[in-house]
Amino acid sequence: MSSSTPKEGADPGRELAGSRALVTGAAGFIGGRLVERLAESEVEVRAFVHRLSRASRIAVYPLELIDGDVRDAGTVVRAAEDCDLIFHCAYGTGGSQRLRSKVNVEGTANVLDAARKHEVSRVVHLSSLVVYGHTEDGDLDESAPRRSMGDAYSSSKLAAERRALRAADRGLPVAVLQPTTVYGPFGGVWTANVLQSLASGRVILVDGGQGLANPVYVDDLVEAMLLAAVRPGAVGEAFLISSAEEVTWRELYEGFAELLELEDRTVEMTEDEAISHFRRQRWKGPGLISRGLSLLRKDEDLRDRLLATREGRLVRWAGSTLIPQSWQPRIKSWLKALAGKGGTKESGSSAGSELPIHPTPPGMVRFLSARTRVRIDKARRVLGFEPRYDFEAGMARTGAWARWAGMAPSEEERPPGWEPPWDRD
Amino acid sequence: MPTDPKNPTSPSLPLAVVGAGAVAVEHHLPALGASPRTHAEALVDLDLERARTVGEKFGIPRTAERVEEVIDSVDGAIVALPNHLHAPVAIDLMERGLHVLVEKPMARTVSECEAMIGASRETGVVLAVGLEFRFLPGFRAVADLLRSGALGTLESVDLQQGVDLFWPLASDYLFRKDQAGGGVLMDFGSHVLDLLLWWLGDLELLSYEDDARGGVEANCEIELRAASGAPVRVELGRNRNLRNTCRFRGNRALLEVDVWSWSPTIQLTFGGAGTWVEGRGEAGSGQPAELREAFVAEIEEFLTAIAEDRPARISGEEGARHIRLIEKCYASRRRLVFPWLEGSPVETDR
Repeated sequence: MSSSTPKEGADPGRELAGSRALVTGAAGFIGGRLVERLAESEVEVRAFVHRLSRASRIAVYPLELIDGDVRDAGTVVRAAEDCDLIFHCAYGTGGSQRLRSKVNVEGTANVLDAARKHEVSRVVHLSSLVVYGHTEDGDLDESAPRRSMGDAYSSSKLAAERRALRAADRGLPVAVLQPTTVYGPFGGVWTANVLQSLASGRVILVDGGQGLANPVYVDDLVEAMLLAAVRPGAVGEAFLISSAEEVTWRELYEGFAELLELEDRTVEMTEDEAISHFRRQRWKGPGLISRGLSLLRKDEDLRDRLLATREGRLVRWAGSTLIPQSWQPRIKSWLKALAGKGGTKESGSSAGSELPIHPTPPGMVRFLSARTRVRIDKARRVLGFEPRYDFEAGMARTGAWARWAGMAPSEEERPPGWEPPWDRD
Repeated sequence: MPTDPKNPTSPSLPLAVVGAGAVAVEHHLPALGASPRTHAEALVDLDLERARTVGEKFGIPRTAERVEEVIDSVDGAIVALPNHLHAPVAIDLMERGLHVLVEKPMARTVSECEAMIGASRETGVVLAVGLEFRFLPGFRAVADLLRSGALGTLESVDLQQGVDLFWPLASDYLFRKDQAGGGVLMDFGSHVLDLLLWWLGDLELLSYEDDARGGVEANCEIELRAASGAPVRVELGRNRNLRNTCRFRGNRALLEVDVWSWSPTIQLTFGGAGTWVEGRGEAGSGQPAELREAFVAEIEEFLTAIAEDRPARISGEEGARHIRLIEKCYASRRRLVFPWLEGSPVETDR
C-alpha cells in the first residue's frame, strides 16, 4: 500500500445509520466534512448553520438546514428536538473577540442545555489542543494541566470545555475531542490561510521550524468524532486527536509551498527575532500590504485567484474597516490599480527574497517553537481510533482540493490553452 | 394615473409584481420606477407585512396577500416567486387575462414550461421570460461577433463560472430541491445555458456530472456539442473559484468574455503575435452597463410585445429551450467524484 492511500478501518458511521444528528457549525470546515460522512452513513442530519450562503457544500444532501445563532437558546432547543446525537462544532469565527468568546461559551452552554432537555444520547463537543495553554517540549497527554494561553480564543475554548465536562459529571453523555492542527479540503486557518500566506509573502520558521505541528487530516478527526459518538467509554472523557506523526512546522509549510510550486517562502528566526519582527511590523500594516500587493500585481493570475477567494474579500473588508481612515485612500488606489489590467505577467519575478515577511504574533511564536509530541494513546485505547492519513497522504488530498478550488496551480492552467493554428505542429 | 410623457394619450400600463423577495426589491421594482410606459400598481406577497414595507418604500398604491384582490387594477404581472411557484402562478394569471413576465428559470421542468406556453396560446396573452443577461450590451456584442464570422470556424467552447457564495441569503429555498428544482445548474446554469443556446444555436448533450447526493448540486460539469460539431464544455460551481469566462476558440481567433460581470470584458485575439482587441460591454452613454438597464430593457420589450400584440422576444418557447437541456442533464446525470475523496470511506462504502 502506498503511503498516500488511507489505511483501512471499521466504519463507526455504520453504527449510527438510522439515527438523527444535530450538527452545529455544519457549514464550516470540520462540520461540513462531518455532515458528508454522516449523510453518507444514512444518518438523518439536521444542519445548524450561521450563514446560509456557506451551506452549498452540504446542501448536496437532502438535509434539514437551520439558519441560526448558537447564542440563541430557543433556536438551539428547537433544533435539538428528536435528535439522538449532537455534534457541537460551532465556534466564534467573526466579529469582536468578545463576541467570539460568547459564541464559544454561551453557545456550548445552550447546546448542553438543549441536549439535557431532549435527553440526547450523546453529545460530541469539539474542543481544542489550546486548552492546554503553551505546551512544553516532549510528550503531552490528557493528564496535562489545562490553562489558557492568555488570549480570548483559548480562554473561551477552555471555559466551553469545562462546561461540557461538568455537564458530563452531572450525567449528560458528553464526549470531548481536542484536535491539534486540523488541515484538509475546505480548511481555513491551517489550509487556505497557509496557502495564502505563502502565496503573498514569506512565513517565519521559528527556531528553524523544528517545533512540532502535530497535524491531523480532517477525515481522521471526523472519524474520531464518529467513534466518540458510538463508543461507550467516551462519555465524560476528553481525547487528544492528532495524526501522531512527527511533522515539523518546516515540513508543514514546505508541504504547502510545494502545492503552490513555490520555493524560498520561509525565513528562519529565533523566538526573540520573530517577536521583535512582529513588534516592528505591527504598525506598518499599509507598508506591508503595499509591498505584498505590488508583487501580486506582477502575477495577475495569482492575484485574481486570491482576491476572488473568501479570504481575499476578507482582506478587502478588513482594509475598509480596520485600517485608519487616513490610510484608506492609499489602499483604495492600490486596490483600484489591482482591479485594472495594468500589471505585467511575470509570475517568475516574485522571487522569494523580495517578498514581505508575515509577522507572527508572540503567542503564536511560542506555539510554533514547542516540540510537543501529542500522544493519542487514550483515543487509541478507548475509542479504537487509528489515524488513516499520514501527512503525505493528507497533503496529497489537500493538494487535489486546492487545485480544484483554484487555490493552487493546476495542470490545466499551465499552458495558455490556445495556440493559433499557424503556431500548431 | 401616470401617463407616458412621450405619448400622453397612452396611459402607463399598470403591472402587479407577485413576490416581494430580493429580485423584486433589487431589480424589478427599481426598473419599473425607471420606465415611463409602466408602473407597479400592486405588490402581492403572502407575507403581507413584507409587501406593505416594500410597497411603502417604492410608493406602490396597492399591496395584497393574493392576486385576486388586485386583479382588476392591473393588465400584467411580473412573477418573481420561488421557482416551484412560477408555473402555477403564471398559468393562473394568464387564465385571468394578464400578460406575464416570469423570472428565470421559467419553471422547474419541461412539462411545467409546456403548460405555461399552452396557457399563453389559449388566452392570447404575452408570456415573456426574464432572462435579462440577453439585454446586456456585452453579451449582445458576443452574439454579433460570433455571427460576423470573425473567429473563422468554431473549434471549441469552454465556459467556467464559479464563485464562493458569500451574500446573505434570506431563505434556504435555493437549497431545497422541491422548491428550487435543482442547484447551480438550475440557478446560474439557467443564465449561461440560455446564453450558449442564443449564441451557438441548439446544443446536443454528451454528458453531465454533478455532486448532488439527494440534495441540490453545488458543482457540475457538462459536455455538449454545437450544431457545427464544436465541443462545448461548461463547468459551474458554488463553492470554488473558477475562471468566470467563456472562451470561444476559432481557427482564426480566440474570443473570451467575462460571464460574471454586467459590463463584461471582451477580448478577441488574432494570431500569435499579440494582436488582440479588448473592450467592455457599455451602455449607450459610454458608461459601463448596469444590470438595472438590462432589467429596464427587459420590461420595455415586454411592454412592446403587449402593445404590438406579438410574442415576446424571449417567449415561453425560447425560455423553455434551456430548461429542456437542463432536464436532459438531470435525466442523464452521473456522479461527480472529487479527486480528494476518491478511495475515502465516503466514496467506497456505498
